[in-house]
Amino acid sequence: MTPERKKAMQHINIGCQLQPALHMPQHAPFPDLIDNAHFRAYTRQVHDVGGEPDVPIEWEEKEEEVWEHNTFITCEVLAWRGVWNAEERRRRQNVDVGQTQYLGLSYYGRWLLTAARILVDKQYITNSELSDKMHEVKKRYE
Amino acid sequence: MSKIHYDREHHVKKATDVGDPQCFKGEAGPAKFKVGDRVRVRDLPSLFYSRTMVYARGAECTVAELVYESPPPEDEAWDNCDNPEWFYSVIFNQKDLWPEYPEAYASDTLETELSERWLELV
Repeated sequence: MTPERKKAMQHINIGCQLQPALHMPQHAPFPDLIDNAHFRAYTRQVHDVGGEPDVPIEWEEKEEEVWEHNTFITCEVLAWRGVWNAEERRRRQNVDVGQTQYLGLSYYGRWLLTAARILVDKQYITNSELSDKMHEVKKRYE
Repeated sequence: MSKIHYDREHHVKKATDVGDPQCFKGEAGPAKFKVGDRVRVRDLPSLFYSRTMVYARGAECTVAELVYESPPPEDEAWDNCDNPEWFYSVIFNQKDLWPEYPEAYASDTLETELSERWLELV
């Protein structure tokens, strides 16, 4: 198997484990089983976690890294240039990403992902340009 | 598909030298509630975005302060500033929010800000 195929298979294998699970025999209910309460739960805003039961976790201090500072600056500059406002940033970083990414990716990871997303959504760059650039940068480290 | 046009300068033109939310002052019309009013948080549909916590929906609270006028987050999250509303600082008793809140801390309160559309008189 080529390294690319390995990466693709790894993506599929990890991705299927990330699905937010309803603890039922199958993850996706039949359409006629989605009543109003379930529709409401599925379409909730994932940042609104207040009241959800959870267990205590240990507090760990983490030093900020250079890429995190750079991400912060990038997002601020996009705001100064009028590309987005603070509320739009929060919507995209905390809600639009969905539950899996909201709970799974780091704080600045979501910021960075969202900075790229808004540039594509508002058509300052195209998704294929983004893809080409990421590919080019990746090559530098191989 | 042709490009959608976003006016990137609409906010900076409005807020420069004035500030935000000061730039929306006078745009929300008369306030519906006054300090001391007993109000309830409405359980409005919020399909794509809201900052009104679900744990506060349907709970009663008291208006502590009229804080400013601003577009509701539900609109501002799409950069729409057309319909500013009054924002109220409201105070809940914690016991009204959490069913199992201990009696020993019965005087605990929680204060937060909500826009006018989320409130109704009790």
